[in-house]
Amino acid sequence: MIEQYAAMASRGDILLLQRLGERLSGRSFLHINSTFAGGGVAEILNRMVPIFKELGINTRWEVIEGDAPFFDITKKIHNALQGNAENITDDMWQYYIETNRKNVSRIEPGADAVLIHDPQPLPLIEQKNSGKWIWRCHIDMSNPAKFVFDYLKQFCVKFDAAIFSVSKFSRAIGINEFIIAPSIDPLSEKNRDLTDDEIRATLEKYQIPADRPVILQVSRFDRFKDPIGVIKAFRFVKKYNNSILILAGSPATDDPEGEAVLNEVREYAGNDPDIYILMLPPFSDREINALQSIATVILQKSVKEGFGLTVSEAMWKGKPVIGGAAGGIPIQISHGVTGFLVHSIEGAAFRIRQILNNPEMARWMGEKAREHVRQNFLITRQVRDYLAVWYYLENKGKNILEM
Amino acid sequence: MEPFVFRQCVNILKATGRKANSLRRMRNEIALVSDESIYHHAYHYFLKEHLMEYTNDFAHWAGESLEERALAEQLSNIDPYDFKSIIDLRKEFLNVIDRYLERFPEPREVIAGDEFYFNETITIIYPAGVWVKNLAEFLMVLKYINAGSIYFHFYEARIRLGSGIDDFSQWISHSAGKKELAERIRSIDLFMHNIEEIREYIAGVIEEDLKEEMEFTGSGK
Repeated sequence: MIEQYAAMASRGDILLLQRLGERLSGRSFLHINSTFAGGGVAEILNRMVPIFKELGINTRWEVIEGDAPFFDITKKIHNALQGNAENITDDMWQYYIETNRKNVSRIEPGADAVLIHDPQPLPLIEQKNSGKWIWRCHIDMSNPAKFVFDYLKQFCVKFDAAIFSVSKFSRAIGINEFIIAPSIDPLSEKNRDLTDDEIRATLEKYQIPADRPVILQVSRFDRFKDPIGVIKAFRFVKKYNNSILILAGSPATDDPEGEAVLNEVREYAGNDPDIYILMLPPFSDREINALQSIATVILQKSVKEGFGLTVSEAMWKGKPVIGGAAGGIPIQISHGVTGFLVHSIEGAAFRIRQILNNPEMARWMGEKAREHVRQNFLITRQVRDYLAVWYYLENKGKNILEM
Repeated sequence: MEPFVFRQCVNILKATGRKANSLRRMRNEIALVSDESIYHHAYHYFLKEHLMEYTNDFAHWAGESLEERALAEQLSNIDPYDFKSIIDLRKEFLNVIDRYLERFPEPREVIAGDEFYFNETITIIYPAGVWVKNLAEFLMVLKYINAGSIYFHFYEARIRLGSGIDDFSQWISHSAGKKELAERIRSIDLFMHNIEEIREYIAGVIEEDLKEEMEFTGSGK
């Protein structure tokens, strides 16, 4: 497996992975999260665990079990950490802790390194008696509901380290805190190179003409992704450049507003034959890949965003991406080099026109974008960083480590 | 000839928990944060992909988030390699900001989400798995080696060795015995190029040198 990644990842990352693997070989590494399927964490763990194993690290992945009330509570906790006002009662906290306690005998949370993903299994830290424990927070915690974060802090401070995706998501907890960006898997269905036939099949399926430049945004139908703003920008562009706009998204079962936003978007688009609104079924990874592969310019015009990994996915296809300057998007797009950061609808329209009218600039920007992802946002880099944090914790106090 | 062993480094970002949302706060934090944090924000800028508009993270933030262009220019003009210690470098950043605050009205706070976050790094240094024993081999490797290796030998070495000299020109001068070529490499203005341009420049001058040497040998002189 590592061999397959070595063909496309940074050689330096692969070398360090192997070195770290040599040092940590035979040691035990336990990952705990709350689901085996669905969501970005499970998706990346599915691919990462085999890499750790191939490096000789005894890796286990366990999932905490809970009933519907438990997951209702953890959803509220999740939302509160993202800044929503939620009411979490004492009974709920007790249920949350009790459910974690019930998982202890089955999971046996002991290893040389334990990586707890997100807040659901956080109370398992009470079982720590040896090894290095790391909390991996995938959530945007830049503005958490104070009382929820204050409550969880009693668990956080017992960890050896915490990992956040972006500096602004981190909180001053008083333990080692690392900033490690998430990553994409270049071998997955969403990111692998497609054949011409596979791409053609998608275009035919959705009756997308291949005679004009394609402007694309892939995202849930969510106001924070500003789909109406994208259509407004497209209308500016259409005055100057004959092109089509595709807005592609999948239904999100945990988002009750999705349907309403989709209807708003359809209504706003009216009967413009150049606007394609595609509601793709879940697991349409190949179709998304195909659309990104044929697009001339890709947008992620979010006004609020988590990390926004769709940006790296698009950049990996060698496309210039125009992104809203929100969440983790500025980490991925270096303005004017690997794409453009915009702050308004007018800005988005201007940059789309600039790219459509400068195919040579679009080409080199796309090349730079792919290289930037290759160096910074592939799964091998994230595996490398997790192992580096573990290694650092075992060599405490040394900011420079020679291997 | 002593071989040149290519090494490289990787930096893992570590948060300090400190941040600034205004110039005055930034000034006070620069006075307090760890040496490691000043080091990271002043020296690691070139590891990141940027248009060559600024030369360190503080200047970048002043220009892009605070939108104080003159301050960004003044901060960009600080050459971290001019300073023998982080204490002196820290003082210079503070002097520039203090002078600016005396002469200009206090800038507004940045919009939420645009705060400056002070980080440090954990640096892991490891062999790149390749060593060379002459200039022609050196050139071949230089063209393909990871950017992290060029950073380690060309930028980081100046601080590590304390002499302001990079590993490449040091080896070319001492082991390959080419003092003039080493001088040409040392004369590069670090701040006007990104790592890829540095790679291209060094490869170019070495190639020229090797070609001249071959012509000289070929002509029987």
